[in-house]
Parts: sequence; structure tokens; C-alpha cells
Amino acid sequence: MRGPNLDIKKLAVLTGVVALTLAGCAAGADSDAGEAASTETESAATETAAPANSDIKICVYTHGDGGTFWSVAQAGAEKAGEDLGITVDYQGSTNDSARQAAIIEGAVSAECDGVAASAPDPGAIEQAMLGLADAGVPTVTMNSGSAVFKDLGAFTHVGQDEIVAGREAGLRFNELGATNILCPIQEAANIGLTERCQGARETSTGTVTDFNLDGGLQDLTAASAKIKAALEADPTIDAIFALNADIAAKAALPAAQELGRDLFIGTVDMSEDALNAIAAGEMQFAIDQQQYAQGYLSVVLLYLNVTNAHALGGGLPMYTGPGFVDASNVEQVIGLVAAGTR
Amino acid sequence: MTAIAMELKDVGKSFGSVIALSNVSVKVREGAVTCILGDNGAGKSTLIKTLSGVHKPSSGVYEVKGEPVSFDSPRDALANGIATVYQDLATIPLMSVWRNFFLGNEITKGWGPFRRLDVKTMKEIAKQNLLDMGIDLRDTGQQIGTLSGGERQAVAIARAVYFGANVLILDEPTSALGVRQSGIVLKYVLSAKDRGVSVVFITHNPHHAYLVGDYFYLLNRGQLANEYERSKVELDELTKAMAGGAELDALTREIQQVRADS
Amino acid sequence: MATQTQDERVAQTSLATKMLQRPELGALIGAAVIFFLFWSVDTTGNFAGVGGTAGWTDIAAPIGIIAVFVALLMIGGEFDLSTGVMVGTSGLLAGLLATEYGLNIWAAIGIVFAFALLVGFINGVIVVKTGLPSFIVTLATFFVLRGANLAVTKELTGTVRVANVEDTTGFDTAHAIFASKMAIGTSNFQISILWWVLATIFATWLLTRTQFGNWIFASGGDKNAARNAGVPVNRTKITLFMMSSLASSFVGIMLVLRLQGMQAGQGVGMEFFYIIAAAVGGTLLMGGAGSAIGASIGAAIMGIADIGIPYALWDQDWRWTFIGVILLAAVLVNTYIGNRAKGAKR
Repeated sequence: MRGPNLDIKKLAVLTGVVALTLAGCAAGADSDAGEAASTETESAATETAAPANSDIKICVYTHGDGGTFWSVAQAGAEKAGEDLGITVDYQGSTNDSARQAAIIEGAVSAECDGVAASAPDPGAIEQAMLGLADAGVPTVTMNSGSAVFKDLGAFTHVGQDEIVAGREAGLRFNELGATNILCPIQEAANIGLTERCQGARETSTGTVTDFNLDGGLQDLTAASAKIKAALEADPTIDAIFALNADIAAKAALPAAQELGRDLFIGTVDMSEDALNAIAAGEMQFAIDQQQYAQGYLSVVLLYLNVTNAHALGGGLPMYTGPGFVDASNVEQVIGLVAAGTR
Repeated sequence: MTAIAMELKDVGKSFGSVIALSNVSVKVREGAVTCILGDNGAGKSTLIKTLSGVHKPSSGVYEVKGEPVSFDSPRDALANGIATVYQDLATIPLMSVWRNFFLGNEITKGWGPFRRLDVKTMKEIAKQNLLDMGIDLRDTGQQIGTLSGGERQAVAIARAVYFGANVLILDEPTSALGVRQSGIVLKYVLSAKDRGVSVVFITHNPHHAYLVGDYFYLLNRGQLANEYERSKVELDELTKAMAGGAELDALTREIQQVRADS
Repeated sequence: MATQTQDERVAQTSLATKMLQRPELGALIGAAVIFFLFWSVDTTGNFAGVGGTAGWTDIAAPIGIIAVFVALLMIGGEFDLSTGVMVGTSGLLAGLLATEYGLNIWAAIGIVFAFALLVGFINGVIVVKTGLPSFIVTLATFFVLRGANLAVTKELTGTVRVANVEDTTGFDTAHAIFASKMAIGTSNFQISILWWVLATIFATWLLTRTQFGNWIFASGGDKNAARNAGVPVNRTKITLFMMSSLASSFVGIMLVLRLQGMQAGQGVGMEFFYIIAAAVGGTLLMGGAGSAIGASIGAAIMGIADIGIPYALWDQDWRWTFIGVILLAAVLVNTYIGNRAKGAKR
């Protein structure tokens, strides 16, 4: 008896390979002009003569999850790559610090000339980041890590300080006259969110209460029901400090409207729905940390370091926020958010 | 007078208010094939489980070689030389022949944490034993699922015999098999008998039973109806007795009446 | 009717068939194909070299260590969905014991291993005593641990992560054993790779060369037939659950030492990757057959893809799609080969 017929097995494997290659080509066509870059033999991370732009690769390794917030940051980084004519590799580890550490650890082999990393859990990526510093690869931190960037060997931080954002929000709520503010936290393991509530607590003249809304982004209707329950339980709540635009517009606002309660609602980060609500007067403000700029600037800062040895920031973090979007400037911003760049 | 390998004396088994077995007395003679015949629902399953150690009798005495016993589990019964081969639970299809053969009785070498299977020896012994039973496998490493149903039963029987079963209880070994496959199994039953194993052959097929049996018991509604000796009974008598005996005669007359009338 | 001799009905198996009966070979061929695919689209030039290898082995090792034991459990007929979260629980527990209660890290590690064995034992006992599907029982464990990870961490530290583990006593020695690395050129090879190799060797030996391994196959192949043959099925399954939990806690310890802390959400979601790696490597989802080496090959494939995709400058979201495709392809191929090798249904 002959050996088993291998045709179907070959076919399955071949189909798989073809499918993957097609998928890759499709993905590659979408990504920026950097595709053509770096097919030559590898160049050293930094050279004394500035390398040609097409040889430069900046890597942006965040803990992001690819959602409405992070996709904008990614868009910013990739646009910078396009504008400068360099290759940008963006990877988000979806809150898995072990994965992020492994990715950063592999940056040298990935031929990164510079690395921008977010640092919500600095201890996790410390070794990897310091390893890059030892290898002579310049780094910046972005989005989170404003207090620790130096310990990680980065020359600056680009982002918004969560506590500062919270404090500013607290002051805003004071101006509006809010006395009892609910602060729903939609990702229990995200320390940045807790810090925002904490910041608000510091400056608010009223009370700020943290509220567990873990998993809220994955199920907005459930989140809305939970907020509604919290509002019913405490009729003195007169404001909600949402920490995400979708939570604000699709969970907090509907909950308030269903109960017929007139609350002050402010949020962190923006979305089209949230801005429309602000324009309609249903929400009061959105704090914009301008994550597009976080992505864009990180790439530019590293590019300048690689090409012209600039280490900008003066040893201090560079803030991209908090910017406030309220009724006075919402119209300008709405169109940009719809385009995915704010 | 042949020796008795195993005996049930007036055994009964109830589950709550359901009486599965009552007044069951069976003598399993050494070196002979004892058939227990019964239709479905007669209580065969409970009887087997009682013999193999899954159940304990509710009443009566279960004796092995003249001594009363009480088994806690099939493993217990196995340790006492009573091996049961079930109709469809004898072998594990995805495992190789040698692994199946030595399941639960693996040969190992080395000691302590380095105790490992003696694969070579096990393959050789399995191959040899199967050969003695008439199956010539080129490679005992092939999955047992590749063998036919009859061959798988044969392996299970060979296994039981090899590991020193004194009494081999076979639960409907031919019921799921075709004619030729059944023939294989029946030959192995006789082969086991030749090696001195006492066989308890449980079936609802009197033809198969008659081919190999020395003694026959009829089980009907949880009670042992009759005991027959081979030399003193014919096949059709057995068949008729299984099909209902006197009750069948009465039924036959009644139906003939009805047909004559119409 | 003439009776035919036995060996005519037992078809001769060619060497090729015999080789392909081995589940690992299909997985190995798949891994080679995928490797060459990514090698061909590599933009960095390092994929097939030291750097790329350091990268994918780093990702594959923590998956592989757990996947081989998950494969053993699956061969034994059961699933464990609490493995991923147990990684988090173990790291957090060790970190908390050391940072909040000042224990020496080694003592904390010992306690964590004992805890993991206990959880595995409970999983196993509930499964065998109640007869409930292990999928459900371990899913319940998953949720219990997931909540505890967050609640206990918040209660003890006020935040959602454990940090500053590097300041605890015994850290340096523990780090050396569980989380150190070796530099080759500009690349770092993690010690987790060594543990991965050892775990694979041990699991393979256990499965194929010991009595217990035979019991694993039997318990998963047909637990009633196994019991009838005298195999202690319950004990076997409970032991397997304890091993998968212990492997998970081992990885948790490795991570907390490497990351010098741990987030409360660590590990959640990884449980499916271990099962996928085992399935890709030839372990049947219904139990009774499989391979520990195969599970390691499955883990390797995941590592190769995780590194290969960004090296090709593809959007890394495609990694999910990729995993779905290889899972389906691997299971189809293995089923097909398995059926052919077994001679299909009669």
C-alpha cells in the first residue's frame, strides 16, 4: 500500500500560505511608505553621518489596545513616519506588560533606531528599556510614565500627566458647581485611570467617589445600567467624571437621561459622539490629551535624535495636555475627530 | 466431579425497590465454558457487574474456589483472578496494541524517578501472545482501532489470559460482530479454555453459546430458570427455552387459533 | 468459506505512514512552512538570525512551558481554563507576600507552588467527583481567581499592581534561576527557554515512557475501559490538573521576577493560547492522543508569528487572524492524517 495521499495536506498548507501572504500584502499596502525601506543589509543603530531617511526605523511600542484612543495615537505615529519618509513600526500590547517587555527587548533585532514606549508599569519594562540605552538606542516614553522616564533611560516623556489631568478636571467641576462627583473606572487594572480620579479628588471642593466599572468598554449597555444603579443609589450625585469618551457618551449620558437627572458630565479623551453631546449641551467638557500628537511627536523627537543628535525636553516631560474641549471650541474639533486624527 | 472455580449461591441484587436479580445460583466449573443465556432485560448486565466486582450482592453468597468473597471494585476482582471483558469497553481505540495489552500492568525497568516502561519487552510479549492466539501483527505499535472488532476482542481476551485470569467473564463478545468476526472470537474462547481458564460466556445468542459451551444457564427476569449440560441438551431445545419455552407454546397455539379463525 | 490468515487483513504500514501517524510531524512541517514564510517577508534581515531567534523563543517559552502540561491534561481527557489567570495569581501572590509581608522571595515562591498544587487538586477533585465537564469547573476557577487577583491586590497595595519586587530579600538569587538571560551578540536569550526545553523533555518522557503516561492515554481514550483495566483514572486526572496549575505558577514566578512586579490583570486570556498550541501540535480536543513535543512546536509557531509579523512590517492586528488560520489548518491536517493513518472508519 502506498503512503497516504499528500495532496490535500499540501493543498491545505499551500492555501494557508497563500492566504497569509495575501493578507500580508493587503496589510502592507495600507501601512505607510516604509514598506520599501530596509530591504538592504542592516545598518547600525546610529551612524556618525546621518542615515538616509529610508533607512531609519522608529518603533512605537505601547500598552495600547487598538481602540478609539490608541488608534489615534497610532495614526499620529504613522503619519509622522509618512511625513518624514521613514519607517514606523507600531505595536500595542493590549495591557500585557510581559508582552510589551518582550517586544521592547527585541527592538534591537527588529532594527529599531529609536523606541517610544508607554510606561504604565515601569518596573515591567525597566530592564528592556535600560538594555536599549546600553545598546545606544535612544528612547522616549509616551502617554504614561512622566515621573519615571529618566529611570528608564529615556531622554524625555511625551504625554499628559494623569494626576494633572485629574486636577484640572476637579477645578472645572468646581467652576460648574458640582458637589458630588462619580468617577467610574472602566479598567480596574489601569493605574492611570485611578490617578485621574485621584487628581480630581485633590482639587475638587466636593466629593469624588471611585466606582468600579471594570469591563465597561466591552459592554457599554451593561456599563450604563451599572451607572444608572449608582445614580439611583445616591440621589445627591450631581456630576460624572468619565475617564473615556465612549463611557461618557454611551454609558454615563444615557444613564443620566433615563433617570431624567441633570448632571454635569465631563470626560477624558474625545469621540465624535462625546463632542456632539458637548455641542448639544448635554456634556460639559472633554479633556484632550491629544494622543495623535503623542504619537507624532514621539516619532519626530526620536528622528531628530537619530539624525541630528538632539535630546529635546531639557530633562523634563513634554506635555500634550490637558487641553479642554468645551462648548466654546467644540465645533473646530468635531471634524478632526471624525477624521480619526484627534 | 470437576472443581468449581466460582459459584453464586442464591444471590440476589436489588437497587432500592427494583429487584434486578433473585435466587441466582450458578456454578462455574474449572476449565469449562459456562454460558449464561438471556434476552435483553433478563438481568445479564447486573449479573456481570456482580461477578466482576462492580456491585456487591444484596443477598446470597459469592464464592471463589470455595471461599466467600466480597469485591470492592473490578480491580479487586482482577487481583483475585477474575477478569471481565466487556462488549464495547475492552480496548481503547487510539492507543497502540501493546499499550492496550499491558494497560494497568505495565512492565517497567529502572527504579525511583527513573522508572520507565520497558517498551521493547512489552512489544515482544504482546506480539508473541497474540501469535499464540492466532493473530500475527507486524507491529504491535499500531493503533488498536485499526484492527477489526473481533481482533480487538481477541486482544482483550489474550490480555486477560496472559495476566493470569483464572476466570474469564465475557460480556456479549459476539453481539456486535459479523459471522466471520464471531468465529474468531469463539476460537479464542476455546483457546483460552485449552489453557485452563474457566470461561463465563454471557450472550443472547444460543447458536454461539452452543458452539463453545459446556454448561448452560438460562436467565429470565432476574431469575435463573434452568441449568443444562451440553451432553444432555440439543440446540433447538436451548433456543426454544430461551425464546420462552412453555409460554411460547401457549402463544403459538393462541396465534394459530386467531389465524385459523380469520 | 475459506478462512484467511491474519496478516493479510492487517495491512502493512509503510514508513511514511508510520511517521505521519506521529502527530508532531504535521506540526513540525507546519512550523517549517510558517518559518520560511516569515523569513521570505522579513524586512530586517534578522529574522532567521540570532536576533530573531532570541525574539521568538522569548515569546514561545512561557507559552510552551504551560502548553506541554495542558497537552498532557487534554490527552487525559480534560481542559483547564484557569491556567492563564493562575499565572497572574502566582506572580501577584509571590510579589505581595514579599513586598507587603516582607517574606523572602524563596519562601514566597514555595508558598505559591503549594497554593497552585492546591488549586489544581481542587479542580481535579471537583471534576472527578461531580462528573461536571472540566471546561465548566475550571472556568469557574478562572473567574474566582480573576476577581481575587484584582480585589486582593487593591486591598493590600491600594493600586492594581504589585511593584518593587526587586527590593525584596532573595530577589537576586531567584532572579538568577528564573529570570536571567544570556547575551549572544546584541541579543538576549532568556533562561525561560532552558526551562521550556526541560519541561518539554520531562512531559514527553512522562507521557511516552512511563506507566503514568500510559494511564494518561487510557484515561482520555476511554475512561471506563481504563477503569475496567485497573487504571486509577481519578488519581491520574487529579495529578494532571495539579501539574497544569504548577506549570502556570512556575511561569507566573518567572514573570514577576523578570518584570519586577505584576499587573493584576496579567495572564487573563492566555488560557486559550495554551490549548491552541496543544491542538496545533496534534493533541486531540476529545482526548486520548497527542504529544507534548507537538505542544511545544505549537508554542514555537506562535512565537515565530509574533516576531515575524512586525518584522514584515505587517499590521500586528493580523496576528489574531493568523492564529485562527493556523489553528483551523492544523486541526484539519492532523485529523486528515490521523484518519488516513488509522485506516479511517470501517
